[in-house]
Amino acid sequence: MRIPDKTKPYRYSLWEKLYLPAIFSGLKVTISHFFKNIRKSPFTIEYPEKRRDYGNRYRGYHILTTRPDGSLKCVACYMCATACPAQCIHIEAAEHPDPNVEKYPVVYEIDMLRCVFCGYCVDACPENAIIMSNTYDMAYFSRKDSIAGIDDLRKPFTVSQEWLGYRPYFPEERKVDLVKMAKERGPVAA
Amino acid sequence: MVKENELTSPSWITSKLEVIEKWARSRSFWPLPFGTACCAIEYMGVVSSHYDVARFGYEVVRFSPRQSDLLIVAGTITDKMAPVLRKIYEQMPDPKWVISMGACASSGGFYRAYHVVQGIDEIIPVDVYVPGCPPSPEGLIFGILQLKELIKRGRDRYSRKAEVSDG
Amino acid sequence: MDKKLPVWVRAQDNYAGKVELEHDVDIPTWIVDSSVSKELLSDLYREEKFDMLLDLCGVDYPGREKRFDVVYHLYSFSTGKRLRVKVPVSEDRCEVDSVVDIWKAADWFEREAYDMFGIKFKGHPALRRILTHEGFVGHPLRKDYDPGKRWQLEEDKIYKPVFLNLPPEEDSMFERMTINIGPSHPAMHGTFRLMAVLEGEVIVDSDVEIGYLHRCFEKMAETHPWQQVVPYTDRLNYCSAFINNVAYCKTVEDMLGLELPPKAIWGRMVLMELSRIMDHCVCNGTTLVDVGALTNFWYFFEIREEIYSLLTKCFGSRLTVAGCRIGGFQHDLPPDFIDLCKHLLEIIPPLIEDIDKLVTHNRIWLDRSVGISAISGKEAINWGWTGPCLRASGVQFDLRKNEPYYWYDKVDFDIPVFYGGDVYDRYRVRMAEIKESLKIVRQLVEQGIPDGPYAVDDYHVMLPPKDMVYNQMESMIYHFKLIFEGMRVPPGERYGYLEGANGELGFYIVSDGSPNPYRIKVRPPCFPIFSTFSRLIRNQTVADAIITLGGLNIIAGELER
Repeated sequence: MRIPDKTKPYRYSLWEKLYLPAIFSGLKVTISHFFKNIRKSPFTIEYPEKRRDYGNRYRGYHILTTRPDGSLKCVACYMCATACPAQCIHIEAAEHPDPNVEKYPVVYEIDMLRCVFCGYCVDACPENAIIMSNTYDMAYFSRKDSIAGIDDLRKPFTVSQEWLGYRPYFPEERKVDLVKMAKERGPVAA
Repeated sequence: MVKENELTSPSWITSKLEVIEKWARSRSFWPLPFGTACCAIEYMGVVSSHYDVARFGYEVVRFSPRQSDLLIVAGTITDKMAPVLRKIYEQMPDPKWVISMGACASSGGFYRAYHVVQGIDEIIPVDVYVPGCPPSPEGLIFGILQLKELIKRGRDRYSRKAEVSDG
Repeated sequence: MDKKLPVWVRAQDNYAGKVELEHDVDIPTWIVDSSVSKELLSDLYREEKFDMLLDLCGVDYPGREKRFDVVYHLYSFSTGKRLRVKVPVSEDRCEVDSVVDIWKAADWFEREAYDMFGIKFKGHPALRRILTHEGFVGHPLRKDYDPGKRWQLEEDKIYKPVFLNLPPEEDSMFERMTINIGPSHPAMHGTFRLMAVLEGEVIVDSDVEIGYLHRCFEKMAETHPWQQVVPYTDRLNYCSAFINNVAYCKTVEDMLGLELPPKAIWGRMVLMELSRIMDHCVCNGTTLVDVGALTNFWYFFEIREEIYSLLTKCFGSRLTVAGCRIGGFQHDLPPDFIDLCKHLLEIIPPLIEDIDKLVTHNRIWLDRSVGISAISGKEAINWGWTGPCLRASGVQFDLRKNEPYYWYDKVDFDIPVFYGGDVYDRYRVRMAEIKESLKIVRQLVEQGIPDGPYAVDDYHVMLPPKDMVYNQMESMIYHFKLIFEGMRVPPGERYGYLEGANGELGFYIVSDGSPNPYRIKVRPPCFPIFSTFSRLIRNQTVADAIITLGGLNIIAGELER
């Protein structure tokens, strides 16, 4: 490999020495952009009135999903809290009086200001109990307000499918059938 | 909305002035982006053409604390940076507001570490916290609009302080 | 050299019994006694032509008799060989000879090792803390340091500059003056502090302080399981977060011996090249803003926003994507991925062309940037430069070509090289690289997405697919074990590297078989580049210093970790 021990600075071409031609060609670009933007609507997204399409995987505000009867799907297994790099999930579990029914969370809190929205909790959940919405407009006036409890987190689920963001899987998109492939392969050694 | 007895009260003119003052203040922040990390890149997104914060009148970005009234802390604040941030805040003239943008500035985020301030409210007061790591530009705009509402209604920290000192 | 020590080492008496070879490692490794380390390293520089010091770091093994390892990574441009040299030192005699006079790059690396581990380097011109602040007590990367223990910085302890190359004062028209720029200064990008001695408007000598964004990445990585380190790597070089993800995951995958499916490799390559474009956009955009050319910035950001759209549709986040997992992707690429890429390939080239027309031949920009802070290739290598900045100094070195990984040997692209070594050529290299990256993306998109899985089929590493977790007991158990116990990496060490947007991005990872990494050292490409800053701006004006900083593309998250 050749390693030069001297530098050779760029030498101006005649075109560049003349100064004006490059200035005018630059002006041509900006003016053409100006007219293009007048004819066509500009790039700007008029945010509070319009919302940008971020696709259906956006990692926004969390949602705790519910069963048809309205109870939380969460079984308080602590997997999301373990997988969270920010350790922002706080769960307190309680036993259901009926031994056949799984545990459930009494307290489920996410510190929204600690959360880094990495989606690891969604990946870790074995019950599809926590998913994310594509809501990004959040702001808090104090640190205390920012702790979202069960009631805050289950609320958004009543809204339509369009609000859903990052989920454990995207059934409408799935092309490769991993389940079938894994079945064909047989069990892997432990 | 002006109530009947307010119109007849002697402080009608001054209170009207206050309304105009609040209206004007909330619509023309001069932000100082104290950008240190990833959030600063998203702040660039906020001022560039896709989100264009100039639509709201907040585009006069000043890097001098003497000329600005809204401090946007965008990025992680470390213990080394903390005295600098405090000094910048002290240099800003009243009235001044602070937006803490992103998880790191608000609470330290997932850096529970030996060199990271666990939330800038250890050092300076904060008016609005915007979660996200980093928040999307919409998130920050939403945060600024919340602050705008707060000031318009006179419920922000500065107006409350003024009320207390007036008695 | 791989199997046994070369003749010149065995022939010398003073090396007898003091230099040993370590076996079963990824690159040739020598263990050297600290009494001869300096001698041996300068011999390596002379005899084996190891002209670049890539990385220098410490590793702490509290149980050992000699507690610390000082690890050097060397690279030779003439032979293309790599070498790791380990120098063990004990805690009570924690001292090694400094190698600053062999490789200038060692200056800041040694200061970092001192700051993090308390290893002293004999003969270093001014050994002092670099990343943590002056009020800090202890050495944070030692294993017995509590990760959450903080120290307040008192105002009176603020850093005092050290001017090492201050020439004697001669009769000059101007009186000498010391000025401070930053850290909260737009030209210093928010996180650097420059203290310069001026004579008139010319900088005679300067000192740079960094560490205002030291977020303790390396300590955090030691306290988190392997997979959870991925979101932290996002925040190293946040302008091209995806490349960092890949660099980390690739190193760990190599340690595990995993073979990635073609779809994962394809997806990673496409997204890495797009991330590279994003990074160059920010660098060139902000450099031009620093000299007052604002319009380009909007055009560059249009490119970025378009790429953000693609990243959000793939991973759900704009900037900090956390896109990869060790073993592939967490989710499949979206079904319209190819169309989105094609859309980008249509949109980006005209914008690049517009920017080219606006500035590349503009006399004002040329006068501001040609010949500013020029550095020759030879000197740049001694300072440890890699990447676009080195290629602007005329060295044709790009890991994608020199040591191809993934499918870079199967795609057709050129390495742009310029010979000015100045700000203008750094700008030109980046503009040319954007075009080359587009070329790579175009070829890959024409190839089409390979069929098959997007992640390895190994449930000791990757979480099993969700529908299996819901329905099968066996997958459920794997899922459970992975979350609570974490994946395991066999004990050993590895230096993984690839061409980041700024240069060689290296991850030196040590594993002891536990669920957390034992030690992760990032070799940030802009760390050695920024250590040259004082040398670059000497005898230039203040205005030139500012444009130089822009042109080097210093990303604080990566520089200070």
